[in-house]
Amino acid sequence: MEVGPGQFLLARLDDVARWAQSSSVWPLTMGLACCAIEMMSVTAPEYDIARLGSEVFRSSPRQADLMIVSGRVAQKMAPVVKRLYDQMADPKWVISMGACASSGGIFDNYAVVQGVDTVIPVDVYVPGCPPTPDGLLYAVNLIQQQIREGGRGGILARS
Amino acid sequence: MPSTQTPPIAGAAIDPPSLRPPIDDAEIERVEPSALKARLEALKAQGYTMLLDLGAVDYPERTPRFDVVYHLLKMPVKPASVAEVGTPKRLRVLCGVSGDDTRLPTAMYIWKVADWAEREIFDLFGIVFEGHADLRRIQMPHDWEGYPLRKDYPVRGPARERSPRPAFALKSNVQAGTPPSGRTLEALQEQIKRAREDGKS
Repeated sequence: MEVGPGQFLLARLDDVARWAQSSSVWPLTMGLACCAIEMMSVTAPEYDIARLGSEVFRSSPRQADLMIVSGRVAQKMAPVVKRLYDQMADPKWVISMGACASSGGIFDNYAVVQGVDTVIPVDVYVPGCPPTPDGLLYAVNLIQQQIREGGRGGILARS
Repeated sequence: MPSTQTPPIAGAAIDPPSLRPPIDDAEIERVEPSALKARLEALKAQGYTMLLDLGAVDYPERTPRFDVVYHLLKMPVKPASVAEVGTPKRLRVLCGVSGDDTRLPTAMYIWKVADWAEREIFDLFGIVFEGHADLRRIQMPHDWEGYPLRKDYPVRGPARERSPRPAFALKSNVQAGTPPSGRTLEALQEQIKRAREDGKS
């Protein structure tokens, strides 16, 4: 962006749109298990995801653009997660938070889906059991970086 | 006579629960499936107003394979002394079932909480409760096949029974289960033995 003589600010429309999108990523509450507690603490004043733009966690997928899958995905819950992902409007991103959402975690059994990426495409994986809240904040930062670089979602983040 | 030790089941060669020492001071009694409904109704009339939990255990080496356990609690009647209130009486009722042909009477009309507890036992063990209003799966998806908590059900699920542990294959695992550094228990034992011999000599 450049400030021209007078009162004009010149920028590409793409850049402005991406700046707006990345500055207001609204997550969808997909708190499934223990990682949801850490996700809650990310919304608390100490870590405060709202200062990164996630002012509200929307309960309706129609109003959210980031799905943070936090916790074990049971076999019974997998079609529900898929349906909610489908209901989100484009562009949408997915963070797989924690070991269970990323790979099944310690639950290598019949009841837990071994990684939510078997059900929906994931953009950023956050390891940990649970990941510390700053790990989740870093993942949101990576999503913002993806958005600003023009990623539509579905591209693995550079570390 | 009810005792705190699990009474053995009649006619079984080995009965693992009766070999265990008592774990708490709850009384335990064994009831035949045919006498179960009458006994539970009698206990409810006696004052065991609370069914704390209803569960099943699988002993595959025993002939009546499953044990269905009713945990009952007798709350003190009002007015009660402080000592009575503090220590309600506990009772555990065990019933041996084979699971395939034996059907147990439902307890949901005696204690309402048995409704979903029996659904859970049906879902995970396959024990059918006769007279239940709505016996269908509760934890697994409704079209799941198999009864997961039986001892002969594969832990990782039937679809992944044969895939190696860990679920992903690393180049460093030649066979799944070999630690990549090669430090198996046998190798460590060899190491210790060698160190002892070197220390002695």
